[in-house]
Amino acid sequence: MLDRRQWLLGAGAATGLAGLPRIAFAAAETDRRLVVVMLRGAMDGLSAAPPFGDPDYESARTGLAIARPGAAGGALPLDATFGLNPALERVAARYAAKEVIVFHAIASPYRDRSHFDGQNLLENGSTTPYGLADGWLNRALAGLPGSSVAGRPELGIALAPAMPLMLRGPAPVTSWSPSVLPGPSADFVARASRLYAATDPRLAGALSAAAEANGAAGGMGAPGAGGDAFVTLMSAAAKFLSAPNGPCVAMVDSTGWDTHANQVGPYNVLTRNLMALDQGLDALAVGLGPLWSRTAVLVMSEFGRTVAMNGTAGSDHGTASAAFLLGGAVAGGRVLADWPGLKPANLFAGRDLRPTSDLRSAMKAALRDHLGADPAHIDRVVFPGSGEAKSFDGLFRQA
Amino acid sequence: MSLDQAAIAANRFGLGARPGELKTIAGDPRGWLKAQLQPEASPPPPLQALPTTAAAAGEFVKWLVALGLTGRQGDLAKLYQNRDRPGDASGGQMAAAPTDGGGQPLSVEQSYVKYFSPGYADGVEARFLTATTSQRPFFDRLSRFWANHFTISAAKPEIIALAPLFERDVVRPHVCGRFEDMLLASCRHPGMLMYLDNYLSIGPNSPLAHHPEYLPAFLRDRMKGLNENLGRELLELHTLGVRSGYTQADVTTLAKIITGWSIYGPGQTPPNGDVFHYIDFAHEPGPQTLLGKTYPAAGEAQGRSALKDLAHHPATATHLATKLARHFIADDPPPAAVARIAAAYTASGGDLAATAAAIVDSPEAWAAPKVKLKTPDDYLVSTVRALDGPPLKGFQLIALLDRMGQRPFWAPGPDGWPDIQDGWIGADAIWKRLEWASRLSQDRAAADVDPLTIAQSALGPELSPATASAIRAADSPAQGLALFLVSADFQRR
Repeated sequence: MLDRRQWLLGAGAATGLAGLPRIAFAAAETDRRLVVVMLRGAMDGLSAAPPFGDPDYESARTGLAIARPGAAGGALPLDATFGLNPALERVAARYAAKEVIVFHAIASPYRDRSHFDGQNLLENGSTTPYGLADGWLNRALAGLPGSSVAGRPELGIALAPAMPLMLRGPAPVTSWSPSVLPGPSADFVARASRLYAATDPRLAGALSAAAEANGAAGGMGAPGAGGDAFVTLMSAAAKFLSAPNGPCVAMVDSTGWDTHANQVGPYNVLTRNLMALDQGLDALAVGLGPLWSRTAVLVMSEFGRTVAMNGTAGSDHGTASAAFLLGGAVAGGRVLADWPGLKPANLFAGRDLRPTSDLRSAMKAALRDHLGADPAHIDRVVFPGSGEAKSFDGLFRQA
Repeated sequence: MSLDQAAIAANRFGLGARPGELKTIAGDPRGWLKAQLQPEASPPPPLQALPTTAAAAGEFVKWLVALGLTGRQGDLAKLYQNRDRPGDASGGQMAAAPTDGGGQPLSVEQSYVKYFSPGYADGVEARFLTATTSQRPFFDRLSRFWANHFTISAAKPEIIALAPLFERDVVRPHVCGRFEDMLLASCRHPGMLMYLDNYLSIGPNSPLAHHPEYLPAFLRDRMKGLNENLGRELLELHTLGVRSGYTQADVTTLAKIITGWSIYGPGQTPPNGDVFHYIDFAHEPGPQTLLGKTYPAAGEAQGRSALKDLAHHPATATHLATKLARHFIADDPPPAAVARIAAAYTASGGDLAATAAAIVDSPEAWAAPKVKLKTPDDYLVSTVRALDGPPLKGFQLIALLDRMGQRPFWAPGPDGWPDIQDGWIGADAIWKRLEWASRLSQDRAAADVDPLTIAQSALGPELSPATASAIRAADSPAQGLALFLVSADFQRR
C-alpha cells in the first residue's frame, strides 16, 4: 500500500535524490553561488519581520501583531524596531552571526494585487506583467563573464517540475524535482475544501473524509506536506550547487503564503510556512558546507499583505513586504528599511505597507556584487527600464 | 451562437473542450454532435497500430506453451489464485523487472506480467490518445459507452491481450450502425467468448458430450457440459436487462442455443483471420424455446436468430435507453428522456445513430445542473484536452487510473464500470484526483500560464463564479490551475 502522500508517477519512480542530472567532473570551485527563493502567495512581511518598535504596529495590526520580544510567542529582536517571527529561529541565529540582511517595506514595481501578474512581473524583470517572455535570472546568467561559467553544462537549476519563468531564457538551465513528491499542499487542500463547501456537498464530504484519513486535516492543523517539500528541495539545491561543475544559481519555490485566513493561533498556516522556510534555509546552509561562505540566498515574495486583519483572522493582498538576503557571503546583521510607518495616513492606498525600496535594487546587487555580472548588462538587459531602482551597495563581504 | 449549449455539447456529450473548441461548436451545438453520428472509415491511427484480434487471441496459448504449462492444471491453478492482480500492474514495473536479478526462474505470475504488460500498456495508451485527440468526441464517448455495456475485463488473465481490441473491433464499427450487429459481433469475439466462458460450453446432448475422447486431454475436465455464463449476461446485461421477465429456463435455453460458439485453437488457422469458430459437434441439437418463441434446429443460425430477436425486444429498447440516459443525462435518468430514446431505438429498428440522435434531441440533456461525475478515465482525458497535453504514457496511465479506481480494461465484472457517482466519489479516489491535479499543475503551470483563461476555454459559461474566484484568489498559477481541475465545475458534466 502506497502512502497517500507519495506520488508515484510512471515506471521506476525513484525516491530521494536519485536521478540527479549527469554532471561532469572538473576543476575545483572558486566562485559564488546564488539561490533565489520565491515565496508564492504574498508573504506577510509584517508578521515575518514584525516592526514591534513602531508605536502604531499593535493598533494597526490588532489581532495579527506578533507580541513584543520577551512576551510569550514574542518577536526575536533584531534591533530596537524590527524583529523576526519566532518561527524563524535559525534565521535569527544567523542574523546574530551577521549572515542575514532583512529588507523591509520593499516591493517590486508591481502595484496591483493579482498573484499571477505580480509573480510574472517579478520573474520577468520588466515593469509590466508579461512584459518579457523570459526571466531576469536567466538573462543575468547569459551575460556572466565566460570565466565564471566555463565548464558548466548548466548555469542554473530550478528545483521545480517545470521551468519557472524567472529562469527561462537563453542561458542553459535545468530543473529537477523529486520523482516522489509529497501530496497536495495543505493550503491547496484547504482551498479545494472551501470551494467544495460552496459548490458541491458530495465532493466536500469525500474530501473531508480523505483529509481526515490523511491527517492533513484540511490544512488547518497538522504540518503540511508543502513544508516538507520545501526542505527537501532546499537539501537538493545544496547537492546540485556543490557538485563539481554544477550550476551556480538555483531557484526554489515555496508556496502557500496566501494567508487570507488562519494566520494566527496555534498551528496557523503562516507559522507553519515560516518554520518550513527556517528549516529549509538551514538545510541549504548545512548541505552546502564550506560553500556556504560563498553563497547568498535571496528570499522574496510577489507582494505583501494588508496591514489590518480581515474578517477571517487573516490578511488580504497588499503591497510592500519584507525580504531576506542571507548566506556566508552576505555582510549581514542589519535591517535595511526606509520605514514608512503604519499610521493610516502613511499607508499605501490607505491599507498597505508603503513600499520605500525596490526588490530590483537587491537583485541587482546580488548579480553585480555577488555573481560579478556586468552592471551595464544588468541595467539594459536583465532589468530594462529599472533606472529608478539603483543597486544597493555593500551588501556583500569582500571576497 | 450559444456558448452555454456548446459547453454542454463538449463536456456532457463529449470528452471535454480543447482550447478554442467551444467557439467552434457554438454556432450549432446540436449539429456538431449529430454530424459525428457517421460510421468511421477506419479506426483512428493509434488503434490501427495495435495487433489484430486474431493475433492477440493466440497470445495466451502461446504464452502457456512457452512455459510448458498447457497440460499442467496445478500451474494453471496457481495462476488463477492471483487472477485479480497479476503482478504489480499498478506500479508500472511489470516490464522493467521481469527477473529477480539472480537468474532465478520466473514464477508463473512474473512470467505473465513480463509477457503481457507491454502490449497491455500499448493498448491503454492508444485508447487514451484516441480520446485526447479525438475530433469526434461524441462518437468516442458512445464507443466507450458501448464497450462498457459489453464489458470484457482483463481481470480474467486469458483475455488481457484481447481486452484493448474489443472496442476497436466490435464496438466502433457499429456505434453508428445497428445494435443487432454489435451484439452479434460481441458474441463472436474471442474476448467475450473467453471472458464469459462460452468457448468451452458444450451442449449436454451434443456429439462432443458423448465423445470426450475427441478433446485434447487437458480440455476434458474443462469441457464437460453447458456453461450459462454468456447466456445469462446476454439477457441480464447485454439485451433485456435484469428483472425484465425472463426466467432461469430462458437463461439455460439461450446458453444451449449458443453452444458451439467457440474459437479456433492453437495450431489452427482461422479462415479470413476470424477467430470465431462455430463447432457444430459441440452444439446442442434440436429446437429451443426462448421467451415463448421456438427456434428450430439450425446450427449457428439458431443463435443468430435468437440474438436478432433479443436485439429488437421492447425490454432491450428500454434497457439500453435507460443506460444511455443515465450515461449522458443523470444518474437517475429522467423517464421522459428514456421513453424518447427507447422510442427512437424501436422506430429505427435498433439503429444506434438514430438512438444517439434522440439523446441529443432530449431537452433534459441540455438542462443546466451538472450532475454526472466524470469517471477517472474521462477525467484524465478531459484534463489533457483542456490543457492541450501532455500526452500520457501507458504505464503512467495504468498507475494513475489504478489509483483512482479504474484500472484500464479491468472492470470488476461483466456489468462494467459504475455509471453513477457513488461508484467514483470515494474519499480516496477524490483525493487521488487532487494529487493528480496538484502534480499536473506544477508540471504545466509556469508563470505565463493563466489558469482562468484555461478554465474559461474549457468550461465557457459553466465556469461558476465560485470556481472563478477561487482560481483568481490562488497563490500561484499552478494552484489556480489545480483548483480548476479539481473544481466541481470540471469534475462534473
